[in-house]
Amino acid sequence: MTRVFVFTNHKGGVGKSTSATNTAYGIVSMLRHAGAANPRVLLIDTDSQAHATLVTTGSKDYGADDSLYTVLMADRHNAAQTLLNCLVPSTWDADLHVLPASSMLEGAERELNGLAGAPYRLADPLNQITNRYAAIVIDTRPSFSLMTEMGLIAATDAIVPVEPRYLETVGLMSVVGKINEVRDGWRQPNLRVSGILVTKMNARIRGHKYLLDELKSHSVLGPLLLGVVPVNEAVSYAHQCHQSIFEYAPTAPASKAYMDIVAKLVRTLAAGGAA
Amino acid sequence: MKRQNHRIDELLDSVTADMLAGGQPQFTDTGLRVERLLLEMVRPDPIQPRRVLPEHLHFDFHAGRMTPTQALRGLVQLVQVSARQRGRPFSNVLEMLPNPDDDAADDSEVRLTAEEQLLRDLVNLAVTIRDDGQVNPLTVVDVSHGVVQQFRIETGERRYWASWLLRDFIPNYTGDGMIPCIVIPTENTSVFRQARENTARSGLSAVAMARQAALLLLTVHGYEIPDGAVTNDFYRQALDLDLRGKREFTEAILSAMGGMKRGQFSHLKLLLKLSDEALDLADRHNIEEGKLRHVINLEPEFHAEIVHQIIDFGLSAKQVKELCEDNGMDENDEETLDRLPAAATKVAKLTQAVKTLSAGDIANAIIKQEGDPEIAFARLQALHRILTDALKHLSAK
Repeated sequence: MTRVFVFTNHKGGVGKSTSATNTAYGIVSMLRHAGAANPRVLLIDTDSQAHATLVTTGSKDYGADDSLYTVLMADRHNAAQTLLNCLVPSTWDADLHVLPASSMLEGAERELNGLAGAPYRLADPLNQITNRYAAIVIDTRPSFSLMTEMGLIAATDAIVPVEPRYLETVGLMSVVGKINEVRDGWRQPNLRVSGILVTKMNARIRGHKYLLDELKSHSVLGPLLLGVVPVNEAVSYAHQCHQSIFEYAPTAPASKAYMDIVAKLVRTLAAGGAA
Repeated sequence: MKRQNHRIDELLDSVTADMLAGGQPQFTDTGLRVERLLLEMVRPDPIQPRRVLPEHLHFDFHAGRMTPTQALRGLVQLVQVSARQRGRPFSNVLEMLPNPDDDAADDSEVRLTAEEQLLRDLVNLAVTIRDDGQVNPLTVVDVSHGVVQQFRIETGERRYWASWLLRDFIPNYTGDGMIPCIVIPTENTSVFRQARENTARSGLSAVAMARQAALLLLTVHGYEIPDGAVTNDFYRQALDLDLRGKREFTEAILSAMGGMKRGQFSHLKLLLKLSDEALDLADRHNIEEGKLRHVINLEPEFHAEIVHQIIDFGLSAKQVKELCEDNGMDENDEETLDRLPAAATKVAKLTQAVKTLSAGDIANAIIKQEGDPEIAFARLQALHRILTDALKHLSAK
């Protein structure tokens, strides 16, 4: 079964898009490096801000005919084919395919609200093409909207990026609770919280260190810790250049941290176990 | 595919060494795998010798001028016209099937047209798939390129069309638009494999076998096989080729063609001399090679007419032979002269060079060729006899 990783947190600015894009590209590179016959990864951007789309394709001029919006609005029988037609290759790597977001996704939520089966409008067509990919990565918007719910329903593994700050870590349990609610409420037994990703970690700030230690020692959240990404200006510059952190600054601490996370995920892909 | 850059490589080396050491995951392709694929991702092979759709629909579909649904609609409309002309109109394709509740409806006497029979077979297959599921997966080759994900059918084109028919033309379809397929790694595909798959199944027409033979010959002779649909002229290029040209492949070719003999192979290949219309008719009506081999001796403009007669009157091979020989008797001498054996033409040429020859040189040359004076003597005697007969023919004229 192809693993579908969704990066989600209702708090903005925690590094969801950065983590989703770099992880997706890292998986492609590492699978190819390991000699995988199919290293293709699909990145789905469900955030109407389209930041993941912009940095991986160099454009965010996608609209009614060539984006996730098109898939959500398509006739149910043709949705999978529409999805295939909307895919674009990433400028980062030809094996990284992107289903772009568009600003019209804001309107899509309103249009889909109340429509029967609306939360499955992404999961259903995606299910028909998942076996074409080694992994699928979904970037979500910073809210628990219908769009995020669609991403969670389509996913097998939820990864929660979080900054090591007090209010963010306090809200972490509610994120985990919300994901569990989607799993039980929408009968998605395959969905689970597979990892917590601490981002923007500054070891010189005592509070960060303290909260990280707290997280590690937490009985539920501690075992879920997937990795710690240090705060790094190279990440912002990489975005500005529309490059992955691995290509922009391969020796930067954030690059190494993301590569460790990618290696963990790739190992789970090979083993078929939990992240 | 060429990588865009390599700055990540060093990082990958260090991380994979640390993280994946000891338990290096195996990602290599394990060979054949069965996947459920979206129908839209699967396409028939345009070069496949076994064609399902009538020729004009086949070409329009493979040229991208028709979607699968439009191609099927074209077939249904074609059959509707043909069926209406024969007094058995239908509006729903399910009406093509015999009604099990109607005792009077014994259609064993009804002769369906080739298109009617094709559609009826497809509907039957579609209903079987609907009721029992698709038991045999298609065999497909992954020909995806970039974000365009596509699979080319190696075997199972009829099941493919039946699935489309089921999806778009038969009520109460409850499937999800997917079709089970055995995906063959691209490196494992070959024209020999496809030929073996085709010939192993019954029902491949003589014309399809001829196309298959031509495809094998063209491949081993290094001809480039196009990606799109090809006309019969593409296959006819094989008429200039033979198995002797590539002896190292002879066994593989004959084995791929179902273990047939060289003679059979040669007879099949010669069917490509038939005119386009005759080829299409013979393919659609599954006419045997034994009947068609006599037709190719006629001028191309008579081919389609004779094939029509074979179909309409259900002629036997013997009757076709007699019919074609009768036609041959009507031919004038000029046409007979055009079809002289190559050896006779060579002897005729020799008569022009007789002044430059000496009897001793001829005798020595034949001894050198045969390696034995007695055999050389016998050869000259035989030549003498045939030249004497030729003189008699000339005297009679």
